[in-house]
Amino acid sequence: MSDFLLQTVFNASYAASYMALIAVGLVLIFGVMGVINFAHGELYMAGAYAVVFFYAGLGLPFLAAVALGLVFVGCLGMLMELVLFRPLRTNPLGGLIASIGFLLMLQTIAVLGFGLRNQNVPPVSQGRITIGGAFLTYERLYVIVATVVLLTALWLFLRRSKFGWALRACAQDREAAALQGISINQTARYAMFIGAGLAGVAGAMTAPLVAPSPFMGHTVIVTAFIIIIVGGIGSLEGAVVAAILYAFVHTFVTTFYDGVIANIVGLLLMLAVLVVKPHGLFGVRERA
Amino acid sequence: MLLDVRDVHVHYHKVAALKGVSLQVPSGGIVTIIGANGAGKSTTLRSISGLVRPSSGEIHFEGERIDHLPAEQIVARGIAHVPEGRRVFPDLSVEENLRIGAFLRSDKAQIERDIERIFQRFPRLKERRTQWARTLSGGEQQMVAIGRALMSGPKLLLLDEPSMGLSPVMVQEISRIVADIVETGVPVVLVEQNAGLALRLASYAYVLEIGSVAVEGPAAELKTNDHVRRAYLGA
Ligand SMILES: Nc1ncnc2c1ncn2[C@@H]1O[C@H](COP(=O)(O)OP(=O)(O)OP(=O)(O)O)[C@@H](O)[C@H]1O
Ligand SMILES: [Mg+2]
Repeated sequence: MSDFLLQTVFNASYAASYMALIAVGLVLIFGVMGVINFAHGELYMAGAYAVVFFYAGLGLPFLAAVALGLVFVGCLGMLMELVLFRPLRTNPLGGLIASIGFLLMLQTIAVLGFGLRNQNVPPVSQGRITIGGAFLTYERLYVIVATVVLLTALWLFLRRSKFGWALRACAQDREAAALQGISINQTARYAMFIGAGLAGVAGAMTAPLVAPSPFMGHTVIVTAFIIIIVGGIGSLEGAVVAAILYAFVHTFVTTFYDGVIANIVGLLLMLAVLVVKPHGLFGVRERA
Repeated sequence: MLLDVRDVHVHYHKVAALKGVSLQVPSGGIVTIIGANGAGKSTTLRSISGLVRPSSGEIHFEGERIDHLPAEQIVARGIAHVPEGRRVFPDLSVEENLRIGAFLRSDKAQIERDIERIFQRFPRLKERRTQWARTLSGGEQQMVAIGRALMSGPKLLLLDEPSMGLSPVMVQEISRIVADIVETGVPVVLVEQNAGLALRLASYAYVLEIGSVAVEGPAAELKTNDHVRRAYLGA
């Protein structure tokens, strides 16, 4: 029984990791630009397809393919900022609607380029850690390690670097930030690169585990929204905590009951949090 | 003239907020802009600092035209703006708020000295340097906002209603601070609802009424102007 429990903890840690990467990116983009990026799931998908192309297709080393995925999806994010969100900055709903259009475009490109079927990505490693009867494959371990490394790096960037401060200041009050000499355009570009890049890494790292398809973004975006609502929209720490909370609840309920009940419990969790704390666990107030 | 605003018009969604405002700021002392709610005082400051774009007219600073520049480049030229309602960054500490005021500067040693100077000027902030700005009182937040603006090393300071919502003691404190800043050689444009206070501090005054300058002149003269006394000094 305790092996079974440990196994479930391993599974939940893996799910919490890549969901945290996705949700933190979504929160960062919302915080700095005030846009709900509906295309975030498709940025995750694009990261997975970068690995399909560079690793499974061209035979580059896996880590190189992941790095290329980060840069590629990060650049997609900057493109979105430039052509969609910047011209629509004064229109609160415009960015959201444009991101839905962009989502459909990315899906279409994936279908045209790679077809409708699920992609086969060769395993990166067959190794696993075994503790008693429970095991954690290296592939999943890499996802957890990558998440811890990237989120720590992001935290240090936001707290210690000048541009990190600029990002936080922008997220709190864009106009006051401009009055300190912070360029809103430049900050938005950084935020989009980082936020999209994190989703890209999540897709790239999990590609060998999920058999990527053009519509894989759907499965994560709803979960990501639940997570950022539970965490408190606009709070990066909240997104991490809520990702862990949600992944553990969801994985445990899936293991001990089934997946449908787990989805229902996930939504009930969100409702319960909103009843007790209407702005989410870490949300203090409405953000501009 | 340090700052020269010439016939500036500003529209918000086609509705005129400024209908041809002209004003001059010399390189010393306090110029005040007074007027009723909605007269266009904040809009005037916002057009100077680049937060809104004039639909016509020109703004010159140190002889160069700045009305087409984005806000961040106007700060770089030396205009610091303390906006209405203080607008400190609530989830940054007091010290981080001050340091972000020096965002465009790279002279590290001088920045450290300036931080210490600000803490000398505002001892209450020093005690609270690691505290989140959201937890400060209104007066303390005003000090953070002013300190943050000073950290950019400005050649001109724009203050929008620094006394708003403060107790009489705190208003005295803030006016002492403003006088102090001018003493150190930084000219100030002071926007105030509290016309009595503004006219006491300033050397020159503009009275804005529905988007244009109704009266202007040396502050001492405006204090005795009948219209000003009736409309703004409650006499
Ligand atoms: N963002 C905005 N959008 C639309 N109209 C605006 C905006 N900001 C100001 N206005 C309008 O412009 C006019 C001038 O406003 P402004 O804020 O400059 O006045 P003010 O003199 O600063 O008033 P107060 O003393 O109340 O701060 C007002 O009629 C106001 O309603
Ligand atoms: Mg105002």
